[in-house]
Amino acid sequence: MKNYQAQTYLGFLGFFIARFFEVSTYFLVSEGIDLIDGSSDGHLGALTIGQTVLGIVFCVSMRFLVVSYARRAIRRVGIAVSFDLRQMLYKSVLRQGPGFFAKISVGDVMTRAIQDISLIHRAIAFGLMAIVIMIFAPLFGVSAMLLKSTSLTLLIVPLLPVVFIYAMRMANEMGKSSREVQERLSELSSHTQENLSGIRTIQAQVQEDNEIKRFWSTNDDYASAFYEQARITSLMSAWMPFFASVAQLIIILYGGHQVMTGQISIGDLVFFFACLGMLLQPIRMAGMLVMLVQRAAVATDRLYEIYDAEPEISDRPSGQVPSNIHGAFDLKNVAYTYPGATKPALRDVNIEIVAGESIAIVGRIGSGKSTLLKLFTRMINTPDACLYIDGHDVNDYPLSQLRQQISQVLQDPFLFGEPLYSNISYDDPERNLELIWDAAESASLRGSIDDFPMKMHTIVGERGVTLSGGQKQRATLARGLIRNAPVLILDDCFSSVDTETEEHILSRLKRLRAGKTTILVSHRISTLRHSDRIVVLEEGEIVEIGSHEALLELNGAYAQLERSQTLSDEPLAVQG
Amino acid sequence: MTNKVTSNSRDHSLFDAELSGAVLNMHLLGRLVRWLKPYRFMLVLSTVLVLIASYAAVVMEVLISRVLVDYIIVGETESPMPDMGMIELTIWVERQTGLSSLNSAGLLFFIVMVLFALAGHWHRLTLTSAIVKGLRDLRQDLFAHMETRPSSFYDKVPVGRVMTRVTNDIEALFEMLRGVGSLIGEFVPFFVALAVMFSTSVKLTLLLLALVPVVGVATYFFRRSSREVFRRVRNSVSSLNQSLQENLSGIQVVQLSGREDKNLGEYTALNKENRRQEYRSINLATFYGAFNDSLTAIGLGLIIWFGAGEVVQDEMTLGGVILFTRFMGMLFTPVVTLGEQLNVLFRAMASGERIFQALDWDEQIHEPASPVTLPPRIRGKIEFRRVSFDYEVGNPILQDVSFVVKPGEKLAIVGPTGSGKSTLIKLLGRFYDFPDGMLFLDDVDINHLHSRDVRSRVGVVLQDFHIFSGTILDNILLGDPTITRDMAIAAAKTVNAHGFISSLRDGYDTLLQERGTNLSQGERQLLAFARVLAADPEVLVLDEATASIDTETELLIQDGLEKLMADRTAILIAHRLQTIQQADKILVLQSGEVLEYGSQTELLELKGLYHTLHELQFQDLKTVSG
Repeated sequence: MKNYQAQTYLGFLGFFIARFFEVSTYFLVSEGIDLIDGSSDGHLGALTIGQTVLGIVFCVSMRFLVVSYARRAIRRVGIAVSFDLRQMLYKSVLRQGPGFFAKISVGDVMTRAIQDISLIHRAIAFGLMAIVIMIFAPLFGVSAMLLKSTSLTLLIVPLLPVVFIYAMRMANEMGKSSREVQERLSELSSHTQENLSGIRTIQAQVQEDNEIKRFWSTNDDYASAFYEQARITSLMSAWMPFFASVAQLIIILYGGHQVMTGQISIGDLVFFFACLGMLLQPIRMAGMLVMLVQRAAVATDRLYEIYDAEPEISDRPSGQVPSNIHGAFDLKNVAYTYPGATKPALRDVNIEIVAGESIAIVGRIGSGKSTLLKLFTRMINTPDACLYIDGHDVNDYPLSQLRQQISQVLQDPFLFGEPLYSNISYDDPERNLELIWDAAESASLRGSIDDFPMKMHTIVGERGVTLSGGQKQRATLARGLIRNAPVLILDDCFSSVDTETEEHILSRLKRLRAGKTTILVSHRISTLRHSDRIVVLEEGEIVEIGSHEALLELNGAYAQLERSQTLSDEPLAVQG
Repeated sequence: MTNKVTSNSRDHSLFDAELSGAVLNMHLLGRLVRWLKPYRFMLVLSTVLVLIASYAAVVMEVLISRVLVDYIIVGETESPMPDMGMIELTIWVERQTGLSSLNSAGLLFFIVMVLFALAGHWHRLTLTSAIVKGLRDLRQDLFAHMETRPSSFYDKVPVGRVMTRVTNDIEALFEMLRGVGSLIGEFVPFFVALAVMFSTSVKLTLLLLALVPVVGVATYFFRRSSREVFRRVRNSVSSLNQSLQENLSGIQVVQLSGREDKNLGEYTALNKENRRQEYRSINLATFYGAFNDSLTAIGLGLIIWFGAGEVVQDEMTLGGVILFTRFMGMLFTPVVTLGEQLNVLFRAMASGERIFQALDWDEQIHEPASPVTLPPRIRGKIEFRRVSFDYEVGNPILQDVSFVVKPGEKLAIVGPTGSGKSTLIKLLGRFYDFPDGMLFLDDVDINHLHSRDVRSRVGVVLQDFHIFSGTILDNILLGDPTITRDMAIAAAKTVNAHGFISSLRDGYDTLLQERGTNLSQGERQLLAFARVLAADPEVLVLDEATASIDTETELLIQDGLEKLMADRTAILIAHRLQTIQQADKILVLQSGEVLEYGSQTELLELKGLYHTLHELQFQDLKTVSG
């Protein structure tokens, strides 16, 4: 807002000048009427009809120009401000971690970005304009009227606060009723949506008639709310002209008397009628305006909640670390509790990972596998002195280096609404297509891509081609592999890939990742067994650790899992 | 078989097709009138009121200009210009009350003013009331119509599409109503004022009317270019929001790929584009607004310039000129409003077409002309006799399926995905018409029964049974007024649902979220059992849920199911070995054909598909318990 002061003041000035020309127009019209009447020679002396008309045209055109400029200036400020607000929002959310999104959900951020910013936009564009008009119009109107007849003016002015108070009250009522309509409408929508989603159940239970009856009340409630809103609007459109008419009645009775006694001219009388419109119009908007500004204030608060949020994960300036990660990790007494959670997600985890080793992690849902993985790239706030990379605390590494050299594939196979190639080469859009195909090949995705008519240029994501769960996982895997990073972390990203394809991928991985650290999470023994060591997590603690063979020999949780899976490894035909 | 047009041959894509898109579809308006008919008296009253209000609005201006200025101030009484009898009336009031002529005019003005406010308000109320009620009825009829479309319709048409008919499309008509109200409120005074202006000065009126097309043309061009500009603004806003949404959903990927700066750059570009389009749109809007304001002022200039000459030549009175200046606004606003409302009108027309298309969609289950009435309680014998069915021609789902289930017998149907299991039970619930074969319920051809009668006898629990938002009790009753709360609780107790329900804070009055997301899969299954038991059908048809459920709940479900099936005929699509083992007979379905049929022992001896499935499942069962 501050950045646009000059423009805003110019806009204000414009409105000020515009009111001047507006009043002048009415002056000239009244002058013209007096000239026609001939009973008075007017206040401006020897103006002819022609000159008066010319004067009116001049004032009108000036007002036209000035108003256009001022309106445009103010509205541009509104647009420019919402542009800045959006930029700030985007910059802020882009660096936020899971703690932030736990507080303000993605949907909530979207609402603020869309509705709150547009509220502020409107408050500036219309609110500012209306406030200015509201100040200038009575200022000019009243002072001009005073020039013509003090007593008549004093009779009319007390009416203005009455109109103002009424307008405020009505705005309040209208706000309430329109919220009511909105609520009823969304009730109607969800009722319909839910009913139709369950139409088969309803028909199976022969409840159509009951449902139709039930719909009636929702339907009728909405209609009543709509009618109520219309009634309040209509009341407002009845009262406002009524107030205007009362003022007119005063002008007729008192003004008429003044004309007959020669205190003012007929033209002056017409002038009063004209000024009345100029006075009442902005006051009518007052209520709406106050509401707009109030809502914008709330919106601003909500936006600042986002702007003021410090990213929970940030770089620490002190870090003196080598520029290359080799991939040796040392986890020392790692414990982690999510903010607000009562139970720790991880406790007392100790693992030493040699550079080039492949580690697999297995455990039930909620055993802390994903949490453990997130510590490596600091997707959550890794505590100090618990995770060392090549001997340095993970928090000493710049975030950008950490995330660049540790390639992490998430459990949720998220793809952007972009072509496949840019999804795979997401970290570096400049990469050449050869490399992208290679990565796809490594992830066993080449065949699927070849089946798409647009090949690598196929748009995927929500608005594009729908990929199967397995295809999505393989695409995100390719995105992780293409970086050929010293460390690769795979969070359960084979769950939708069939066992045979998985075997292919794993054997290729073995070759590609030779000498590089790989950490993966899986539920399948067939995946786990390929790793050098397997970590079994239970409720945030390591219960077993060792190679496939060693763990089998141990005859503990891992061995039990192995037995159950080899029995049911065949796909079950009966499962629908 | 009787000639049955199966709905399968319909082209459901038509339900989405672009319609004619005519601007003013008279046929459509004609059809809408049907829903307004019950409220016609209100509409007539409304019309009378708007005429009174418009007349009053004009009279108020005449009182100011002709009576106050001409008669009282200037003293002119002989002018041929119309005064709508107001001068005479003022004189009459003077004589009756003994007030001065100024006060008499004031009194008249006050009366007319009140009349104007009241008539205007009542006009708007009656008009709104009539149309709101008409649209409400239309929505109700549309809902009732959609509620009774058959499964074949909902298989092909997404629920979302149907929903927008009932919500958005009717809403567009409500929106139009707001517009229509203000248009009538402005056009009627426009014509009344025009009549008075013509009788005052034909020449000046024509001169002013010449400006109306200018406003009209300006409005037309403004609307046309703004449509394009606003479209671009909308597009830029939606790509802006899409970008944000996507980045938020994939924020972890963005951060892990180190794409923050690059994405900020992309977003900035979109944001700039949006700002550019917004700037363009305000340029247009500002120009148009200022143009209209100025045109009104130019009109004023014209009146004075022309009026002056006329007054000098005694063609017009001074009051007449003032009258014209007062009527100026009444001339232009209707045109501007019309421009504003045109888009709404277009949208309403398109919506109207879609609504009537939905209302005309007459797809339904073939119901017998004179349905056979079943006795109050049936035994529950079911017979499929050579039933075949397809959703699409040339892709048979069921072929020549025959079997008999004796009253009280339990039949388990097993078979791989796509073998036609679900279709089979849907036919039994008479959700589809089938072209070949016959299906008997207690030896009555179900095509001779009304589908509702069949469904109240055959309780179908589909795999995707729906939990509605509302209380647990609501979900058991499903609106059936014949079931009492105690009956519902008894049903829940029988199927082991009472345990988890009473552990909830509000028990049976616990509010469930849509789709029952605050219940576990197993709890929802138990709730569905309670629901069907409360309805007490003679035949139970159940498509067992496949999702894995913890062992404890699983046991409750198995036990609940057993109680549910007690004393009634049951057909189960079974996914669990345990469920299959509870059945008297097993039917193995593959590719729509009956492959094996018999008791468990018979089928195991047969060493066919069931044998294989049994072995596999048995293994799985071991792993689950281990």
